[in-house]
Amino acid sequence: MAEKVRFIIERQDAPDAKPYNQEFDVDYRPGLNVVASLMEIQKNPVTVDGKKVPPVVWECNCLEKVCGACMMVINGKAQQACCALVDNLKKPIKLQPARTFPVIRDLLIDRSRMFEALKRIQGWIELDGSWENRDAPIQNPYTARTAYEISRCMTCGCCLEACPNVGPQSDFIGPAPTVQAYLFNLHPLGKFDAPKRLNVLMEKGGITSCGNSQNCEAVCPKSIKLTKYLAQLNRDVNIQALKNIFDN
Amino acid sequence: MIHTTFYLRRLHSLCGLLVLGMVLFEHIFTNSMAILGPEGLNTALEMMELIPKPIFIGLEIGGIAIPLLFHGIYGIYIALQAKNNPQNYGYVRNWNFALQRWTAWFLVVFLIWHVGYLRCYVKGVTGTPISFELLQNFFQNPVVVVLYVIGMWAAIFHFCNGISTFCMTWGITKGPRSQKVISCISMLLCAGMCLITLVFMGSYFVY
Amino acid sequence: MAKDMTKKKIIIVGGGISGLLATIKVCELGGEVYLFSYCPVKRSHSLCAQGGMNACMDTKGEHDSIYEHFDDTVYGGDFLADQLAVKGMVEAAPKLIKMLDRMGVTFTRTPEGNLDLRNFGGQKNKRTCFSGSTTGQQILYALDEQVRRWEVKGVVHKYEFWEFIKIIKNKEGICRGIVAQSMNTMEIKSFPADTVILATGGPGQVFGRCTASTICNGSAVSAVYQQGAEIANPEFIQIHPTAIPGSDKNRLMSEACRGEGGRVWVYKDGKPWYFLEEMYPAYGNLVPRDVASRAIFKVCVHMGLGINGENRVYLDLSHIDGDYLLRKLGGILEMYSEFVGQDPRKVPMEIFPSVHYSMGGIWVDRFHFTNIPGLMASGECDYQYHGANRLGANSLLSAAYSGTVSGPEAMKWAKSGKNGSELSEAEMEAARAEVQREYDKILQMNGSENAHKLHHEMGDLMYKYVAIERDNNGLDACLVELKKLLKRWDDIGITDRGHVANQEAMFVRQLRNMILYAMAITKGARCRDESRGAHAKIVLENGQRKHDENGDLVFMGRDDKNFMFTTIINYDPKTEEPLVSYREFDHSLIKPRARNYAVAKKE
Repeated sequence: MAEKVRFIIERQDAPDAKPYNQEFDVDYRPGLNVVASLMEIQKNPVTVDGKKVPPVVWECNCLEKVCGACMMVINGKAQQACCALVDNLKKPIKLQPARTFPVIRDLLIDRSRMFEALKRIQGWIELDGSWENRDAPIQNPYTARTAYEISRCMTCGCCLEACPNVGPQSDFIGPAPTVQAYLFNLHPLGKFDAPKRLNVLMEKGGITSCGNSQNCEAVCPKSIKLTKYLAQLNRDVNIQALKNIFDN
Repeated sequence: MIHTTFYLRRLHSLCGLLVLGMVLFEHIFTNSMAILGPEGLNTALEMMELIPKPIFIGLEIGGIAIPLLFHGIYGIYIALQAKNNPQNYGYVRNWNFALQRWTAWFLVVFLIWHVGYLRCYVKGVTGTPISFELLQNFFQNPVVVVLYVIGMWAAIFHFCNGISTFCMTWGITKGPRSQKVISCISMLLCAGMCLITLVFMGSYFVY
Repeated sequence: MAKDMTKKKIIIVGGGISGLLATIKVCELGGEVYLFSYCPVKRSHSLCAQGGMNACMDTKGEHDSIYEHFDDTVYGGDFLADQLAVKGMVEAAPKLIKMLDRMGVTFTRTPEGNLDLRNFGGQKNKRTCFSGSTTGQQILYALDEQVRRWEVKGVVHKYEFWEFIKIIKNKEGICRGIVAQSMNTMEIKSFPADTVILATGGPGQVFGRCTASTICNGSAVSAVYQQGAEIANPEFIQIHPTAIPGSDKNRLMSEACRGEGGRVWVYKDGKPWYFLEEMYPAYGNLVPRDVASRAIFKVCVHMGLGINGENRVYLDLSHIDGDYLLRKLGGILEMYSEFVGQDPRKVPMEIFPSVHYSMGGIWVDRFHFTNIPGLMASGECDYQYHGANRLGANSLLSAAYSGTVSGPEAMKWAKSGKNGSELSEAEMEAARAEVQREYDKILQMNGSENAHKLHHEMGDLMYKYVAIERDNNGLDACLVELKKLLKRWDDIGITDRGHVANQEAMFVRQLRNMILYAMAITKGARCRDESRGAHAKIVLENGQRKHDENGDLVFMGRDDKNFMFTTIINYDPKTEEPLVSYREFDHSLIKPRARNYAVAKKE
């Protein structure tokens, strides 16, 4: 008899439906992760009570921890399900949707607010066009390394879920989009629009909503030093505020 | 562009750390005179009386009442934006974040009582000057003592943790090491101030 | 907001690198883009590309040349790629890199601040620009940002979490729109357009476990194939030599590991045997992927030398400085530690080949038009550029380049006046209603089969018969089995009849498309009686696999006379079977020569 792993999954049939729990057993195998377990449930969607139910709905793409799709709350903590190895989790394993975001169904959530926030912070470089015009400017390799670190952010939403200041009760855009502003301010061309981005961060829901709980950095699956860049941005917006006052 | 939110937040931070921090220090300094016995505290309180009335009232309104009201009311607004979650994310900083808000709630109630009773009612309405004996009498009720100790500790923690977050909010400490150093220093300060509080509160039962 | 009616409407399906670059190009030319994707475009599979993007930057003092890149690509592709198309791509490569650099792709830099270059398989010069070991992610993000900029300007309309179902042709047979379904509300809708570009990526999921994302199922390609689009060279499936085997997926370990000095070995007679270095002294560990995969397969399966008798070999980085590795390969090393629990900087990784990329795809001309007027294909879902085998780090290049071709060409076509009449409301509704009927039928399915189990079986089948080593017996058997699977599809029973995010019903529909695509792959492989690039066929003798005097399998040779043609697969709507024919392509620039990585290339 194969060893079983018990999953308690918080399900919800529609965006406005009431959540309920269902329990499933999955055959253990070495290296088993939460996504693989959910896939097994797909193949045999039967609860521990022997009831045949619709398979659990969730989002996943790459299963390599680069796409950010499979973020969910596992045993109370927001994380990527693909790299949540069953071996490292307390049993029974409890899966919940990240309720900081609107739930669509089961573990599937709507993270469009993060992409909207990226629009708000003007997270891009103002290019003349995608045609050839000249060589790209040389970049300081150390700055580039910092930029790479931040640019690995996969918009998974762990930091938003863990941040006590993000949620329906607040308008904070969250750590990830905030820190993305810094990424563009680092680029030799993106720098030109740094004041614009900093001014956006000074608005309601911007960086001032950060309460320094530092959960974001603790849960970031990419180990991005979010709090460091938030502090740097704090410094930058303060200077920008002085400029706003005295340069006019 | 006028970023009201930004300036209010920064003012909140400044006002908490600098102005209310001074108030807290003043309270602890003055009250710690109780350690020297009734004379010590009463002398200190009399020294304060030497400040001309208009200036004293002005200081009380401008240096305490207004900053306190602003910090308190805007603070309530800030605290309402948080859903504290240290039970799931039990990191030290997250506990501090939650404690910052829990102490804040406690302080709102505590300060209404403290200011309302001692400053407004006893000193203001009845005209009784605050003295060692008065406080000693006040502290005969153990509930009051406990609440006062907790109130002081809450204020001290709120202030000391505020130093750490102030340094982050103003971009003074950026990296993890400097943040850690500041947080250690402020927690040491917190412990020291809490201890002093305990000692001067105890002195009411010694003399 | 009043819409500008004169703006040309381009539908782009797929938001990977190719789709996003096409989007940017269309916007720059004044068009309006309706961008459809299974997922937020920022989560497209392009982000799984790790190692880098080839471009002749020649900044390492190696006298690299564009011609060299051209030749490596054609030679690596075993002379099955359209040479004029490849030439266009390699010439554009350095410009594309500079453009991406300006867009903010965080390429890894040299101490001087220039773009760093690394070695990659099948090429002797350093030619691969990279961002640590997540180059695809970084390029995708930069393009995503640019598209977001256009989205804010109101010319890009994103339909994320919408599944492309099929194209709609007007009465002249020209593609003028698509039907798509919301994956959350399950609403089915028709969308009109002037041109439709498919940039839907590869069909990895046809093989079940592979290095591809769960969204790479080739369903869209199969859908248009069933509507008359030709598929070209589908039998050329790249097997990546180094992947971490897993039950849910095989996770890619970039070729960059070998590019940065990683060595592949197994124990033989108690001593490490660096078999790639021994078998191919000129290229060593940096032989192209098909060659490396076959060697590993041989060592494990035929010689039984895999680690502990299992199908694994070592990929060893432990002799390289740890800090250097972290800087150059951080992302994937972290992934390995995370999923396997060992630090590759200290112990050798255990890897095995896995299905990785499809060289084949929808047939397109050099401007990325398919045989259906008004329908274009771009990126991995087209067949262009890679011939019989793709060189590492050429996929990001082909994805990016194809987008810069298809985008402007789509606008040209839209303005040309050749795209016939617009779809009428009735035509759009008819198409929608048909899809709705099919979907409703799926919701009623009440048989005994589970779609995910069928999928699993199909993957096993394809791995068994159509992967690294193929023979005609196996391919025949596979075709029979696939037909049985197609029959069994009718007997699927679904448990989810809900109307919100019904992933099961969507998967059932995709599965049918996947089975039909699998048949095209298998049939293409069955008909190609030669070995070329990724397609290696074993000679049969008296119905048995033939072995030589050393006991090694005998593979068919390359047959330029009969098979230096593009395989074209058409769908037969009556029998649902693939029809194979062959088509000429341009190979006027470099004369075919034997492909041998044991010796240095001679031109």
